[in-house]
Parts: sequence; structure tokens; C-alpha cells
Amino acid sequence: MATLEVKDLRIRYNRSGPEILKGLSFNVEQEDFFAIIGPSGAGKSTLIRCINRLVEPNSGDVILNGRNITKVGRRGLRKARRNMGMIFQEFNLVERMSVMDNVLSGRLGYIGNFRSFLRFYPRADIQRALELLDEVGLSDFVDKRADELSGGQRQRVGIARALIQQPQILLVDEPTSSLDPKIAREVMGMIKQMSEEAGVPVLCNIHDVQLALEFSNKVIGLQDGFKKFEGPTKKVDKATLDEIYAMEIL
Amino acid sequence: MTASTLSTPRDSVKTWRRFKYPQSLIKYGIMLIILVFIAISIQYLNIHLERVLTMFGRLGNLFANRYYPPDIPYILDSEYLGYVFETVKMAYLGALFGILLAIPLSWFASFNMTPNKRFLYPVARFLLMVCRAVHEMIWTILLVTILGFGMLPGVIALSLFSLGFTGKLFSEEIEAINQGQVEAIQATGANPLKVFVYAVLPQVRVAWTGISIYTWDAAFRAATVVGFFGAGGMGWYLRRTVQQVESNRVAAILISIVGLVIISEVASAWARNKVSTS
Amino acid sequence: MMPSTLEHKLAKILTKRKKYKAIRYGLYIFIFLLVLGSIQTTIIKDTDWEKIGTFGTVVKALARFFPPDFSLFPHLVKPTIETFMIACLGTFLALVLAIPVSWFAAHNITPYKSITYPIGRAIMTLSRSVHEIVWGLIFVAAVGLGAFPGILAVAMRSIGFISKLTAEAIEDINPGQMEAIRATGANGFQVILYAVIPQILPVFVGNTIFQWDINIRRATIMGLVGAGGLGLTFHRQLVMYNYGGVTTVIIALLLLIAIGEVGSYYIRKAII
Repeated sequence: MATLEVKDLRIRYNRSGPEILKGLSFNVEQEDFFAIIGPSGAGKSTLIRCINRLVEPNSGDVILNGRNITKVGRRGLRKARRNMGMIFQEFNLVERMSVMDNVLSGRLGYIGNFRSFLRFYPRADIQRALELLDEVGLSDFVDKRADELSGGQRQRVGIARALIQQPQILLVDEPTSSLDPKIAREVMGMIKQMSEEAGVPVLCNIHDVQLALEFSNKVIGLQDGFKKFEGPTKKVDKATLDEIYAMEIL
Repeated sequence: MTASTLSTPRDSVKTWRRFKYPQSLIKYGIMLIILVFIAISIQYLNIHLERVLTMFGRLGNLFANRYYPPDIPYILDSEYLGYVFETVKMAYLGALFGILLAIPLSWFASFNMTPNKRFLYPVARFLLMVCRAVHEMIWTILLVTILGFGMLPGVIALSLFSLGFTGKLFSEEIEAINQGQVEAIQATGANPLKVFVYAVLPQVRVAWTGISIYTWDAAFRAATVVGFFGAGGMGWYLRRTVQQVESNRVAAILISIVGLVIISEVASAWARNKVSTS
Repeated sequence: MMPSTLEHKLAKILTKRKKYKAIRYGLYIFIFLLVLGSIQTTIIKDTDWEKIGTFGTVVKALARFFPPDFSLFPHLVKPTIETFMIACLGTFLALVLAIPVSWFAAHNITPYKSITYPIGRAIMTLSRSVHEIVWGLIFVAAVGLGAFPGILAVAMRSIGFISKLTAEAIEDINPGQMEAIRATGANGFQVILYAVIPQILPVFVGNTIFQWDINIRRATIMGLVGAGGLGLTFHRQLVMYNYGGVTTVIIALLLLIAIGEVGSYYIRKAII
């Protein structure tokens, strides 16, 4: 059974507006690094946000390890989100909190209101946060405020925050487009390596085709809300890319 | 373990505590001091905390039994409406005089543009500070004792209030202007007055207009109650009804005050919006 | 052909300008007359000039306030401290109460938009539109004389000012940070705690300090309606026709406000 199954996902932002996703289906397996590519405006970001319902889909199913996320209530949704780590394009760290608190905020789904108010986390969580920060090379920045960090460092905190959730899947939304090319490659490498170590599949929406081909093992090509291509990365050639990006060239 | 583990040795971070020795201690110390101060104040002011609990019942009782029903015909009376009109006049005259006085005073009291740093600057600053520091009700009472009852002390009190209010904001605007334009006018050999008129005024005009409209709004709020101390306007009615414990009429007057202030606030918000977009 | 059309245009513009100028000056004259009219009715007609008398009598009335009655000074310590405490407690109460009000009145995080948003806005507007004297009267009527109604009145007036600016700050926080916290599976309370509060804390604290400064001023007049502090002493001296004492009270009041001004300046500097 696939880790994540997406079936016939459809969405439009307002009733009279255009459909952004027009019936998408695909499966993410346990060991996948799944890249979503396509021209801007194809619906890549919307797709990622539909998986954890930051954007509500109009119809279709998202099934994570047998649980249908589109059907659960508020409490169930929180539990489902807890099982999906997310990494953002603009990092979205809480800038006025310390690096440590930002990483620990990944555990919010597991602790109660009272504990989160006092910021009193279980010892194991703190230990894990330290390990993760060490792994992303930020062990010297634990008590720095997030707004003192550079872009690359912030994204590494973002990776640690996503992984401390002990997710069953990582949703990654354009992790590199706010970074310069060299650091973008480093960050991608880190995401790949750490997700493999944790045994977590990755669903990554990425604009940069070069990076997508380099790091992924499967690719989906989106164009205007339709799936234009799906298959192993090896099968992607110039012709497929031309087809996916046809609109952009026009 | 990974390539990303830079030069940091693995055992450099083993534990982490939220409590940092000096900073956290200072933080919690300050919080403790604040709490202790609050406790002392409650003690000192003789506030019985059980009164806090019964307060809501008594407030409810006040509104439900004594204020309700408000005596609406009372505030629709033509005599009362005349006083409302007086209040409006008082507010805009006060605001107008205050703003007119604030123009030279804020110029003198702005650090960058003041024509005379030694004398005019401190004097103007001091005047503005005194205007602002003394509450408008105290101005009213003082002026009523000197000038007697009537609208004149009210208008003067509101002028002083508006002067303090606008003067500070005006001079802050002047202090934030673009110095380059000032230098350009100075370079033509203009005297300080000309510099003020040609380099400063054009830059602050829009902001000042917004502040002035806001001042009118604030002056009106104050004008509704200056009459309470004998300075004309609808506040006088408030005093009379409060003293004679005509609670239904008090309620009606309060409703009229809230209604008028909301109207003036909406109007001033609209006007400010208009000014800032045009 | 060219020059003549140009001249034509110029003439058109000029007449247009003349027309606008006429309207503008007309408006100015109208406003000027209006102001003159109100001065005539409110100041010249309404005032009892006989009673005020000449410039000399006004100066004489002023002179009664001097010299200040310094024998009153020892009696001023307690009310001054009281005033200061009323301002502090009032600000503290306002700060606590402003939290739910600004939560309700910020349209991006308000819990039930159709119910709580209007409630929040209404409390905000009501609090700001009613003068502290009126609040004082209401609370004195409800809970009796003393410092307590003064604290409530000061707090009531401040809530609106603090929560208005706070709600505005909440409305333009970075939504990405909220999204990120929500994506971890946090509940609504945790999202506010982790994504909203850290972002607005500086604005909130800055406003509170600013209000504290103003509240000291407000607290000085609470005594006028029977709610404790320096205002009470001020009123008593005035009723006893002890004008020198009035001056002393005003000196005390100015000192207190100066302390507040300096204090708030340094606190703001230390925090931000």
C-alpha cells in the first residue's frame, strides 16, 4: 500500500473562478522522493497545501497510510497534520522566537495547551531537537533568535522543525526559491539525506527542473491543473519537459 | 554523522535549559516585582477584592433598573439640541485656535527647524509639555474659576488641549522631513520664515491635515464633558441630571454622547482617508 | 494653426482656474464668516463680560493662585502615590482586558466572525468614545466612592486604544508563520500563542507603555468625580477657596506626570 494516495483531487478558490486542480491522482510510496514540476501557476503550491488541508479541496481523496484526510473533522485534521511535516518557501519561522523554540514548535500537536503556554516540553523532545539541530549544523545557534539567521540557516531550522514531528511524509513547498543556487543544492541534499535516514517519503514541489531531476526518483509534471506526466525521473527527457513547459514557452 | 555536521563536535551540545542564568533570573525578578507592586497597590488603595465580584451585579443593576429606560424625549428637546450645537461649535473653535497656535509653536519646538535653539526651542517645548501634561478638565476648572461660567473658558481649555495634542504631533512630523529640500531652499538665501513656508510646510501639509482632523475628533470628545465643570455645552446637563439623580435622563445623555462621538469618529475617519488618498 | 489652438487651450485653462479660484476663495470666505459667527455667539455674546471685568481683574484673579501654599505639601504625598497606583492598576487591567478584545476584533483570527468580530469592534468603539470623566461617573454610581471606580474608569478608556492598535497589528502579521504553526497540527490556541503573540508583542508592549503615560494624566482627574487621587485634593482646595493650595496640587501633578514621561521613555528604550 502506498504511503500517500491522492485520488481525483479538485479545487477552485471561488465558485465562479477557474478550477486550479482538475482531478489529480497519484501515489507516493514509502521510499519515494517525489518531485512536482511545472510552470508557475500550474497549481503546484495549491496541490501541496491540499494534502494537509491548509487549502480545502472541493472534492477528491487524500489518504495517508489508510486514513482519509479529507473526511476527518477538526480534531482528526490536527492529528493528520501532525503526521505530515511541512517545509516552506519563505521558511515561515516565527522570527521573534529562538531557534530552539522554533524547532520545538514542531511538537505542538503532541502537547497540551497548558504545556505549550509554559513552553514546557518533554525532555525527550528537547533532546531530539538538539540532535536535529546538530545534524543540520546549527548547534551553535540554539539560543539565537530566528531573525538573526541567514536564509540557508533558516531553511535548515525549517527542516528540523518538520522532522521533529516524526512525520509519515514530508511536504516540501519550493524549498529553494528564496535561496541562492549553492545553498539551494545544500538544502536539497540535506532534505534528501535526512528524510532517507528517518525513512520518510518526500513530496516536493520545485520550480528548478535541474534540482528536481538530480534529487528525485519520481516526477509529476503539472500543467494548468492537469497531470501532464508521471513516471520515474530517469524517463524524463527533453521532449517531456518541453511538453510540460509548453505554456511557458508560448 | 552527516556532511552537514560542520566543524562542531558532537558533544558540544548535550543538554539545553530554558532557564539562562542571568537573563532569565532578571526577567522573572522583574515579573515578581510587578506582581508585588500590584499587590501592594491593591492593599494601599483599600480595594476589597470581593467588591470586584459583586461589581458586575451592581453594574447590571445600575443599567437595568436605574438607567433603563433612557428618557429619550429629554435629549430630543430643542433646548438640549441647542446645547449640543454649542458643544460642536466649542469643539471646532477650540480645535481651530489650538491648531493655529500649534503651527508656529511646533515649528519653534522642532529640533531640526527651530529658528532659535537657545531660547525659542526650550520655551516652545516647555509650553507644549505643560499644555499636554495638565488634563483638559483641570484646565477647564482653572479657567472657570478665573473667567466664570460660560463657553469662553471651555473654548480656551479646548484650545490648550488641542495645542498640546497637535503641537507634539506636528513637531514630530517636522522632525521627520527630508532635509535635502530644506537645504535647497536655504541655498537660495531664504530666511528661516521663508524656509519654513517653502521647504517645511509643503512636506508636512498632508500629515498635518490628517492630524488636525483627528484633533477635531479628540476635542469633540473632550467638549462633551467640559460643561460638567461649568464651561458650556451638553456636559452641563450631565452634571445637573447626575446631581439630581435623574438616572433615566443620565442614560439618555450618555446615549447622545456616544452617538455623537461615533458620528464624529466616522466623519473624521472618512475625511482623513480622503485627505491621505487625494 | 498651432499657435491659435494653443492660445485657445491656454485661455480655457485660465478661465477654468479662475473658476476654481473663485470657488475656493468663496469657500474660504464662507468658513471665515462661519468662524466669526461662532466666535460672536459663543464667546462674545455668551460671556458675562461684566463679571470678568477688565484685564486688571483677570490678572488679579490669576494672582490669587500665587504664591503656592507649600504647607500643603506633606498632605499631597498619599494622594500622589494613590494617583500613580490608580494609573498603574488601571493600565494593568486594561492590558489584560485588551487581549480578548483585540483577539475578537482582529478579523483574521476572530473565532466566530459573525458574532465575536462585531462584539470586539463595539467594545473598542464604546471604550474610546466615552470620556474618562463619564466612565468615572458610571463606575462611582455602580461601586461607590474610592480608588476602585477610578481604576475601572481609567482601564475602560484605555482598552479601546490598546486593542485598536493591537488588532490592527494582528491584521497585518505575516500569515506564513501562522500557516507553518498550523501545519504542525497545532490547535487554535497554540497558533495564537506561537504565531500571533510573538509577532505583535512589541506593538502591544509599546502601546501599553504609551497608555500608561496617558493614564497618569487621566488618573489625576478621577478625584473630580469622587474616585480618589490628586483630583480629590484639587477639588477640595478649590472648594475651600485655597487657591495657593490649588497651585501646589498642580505642581505635584506636573511632577508626577514628568516622572511618568521620563519613566516611559526609559522603559520603552529598555524593551525595544
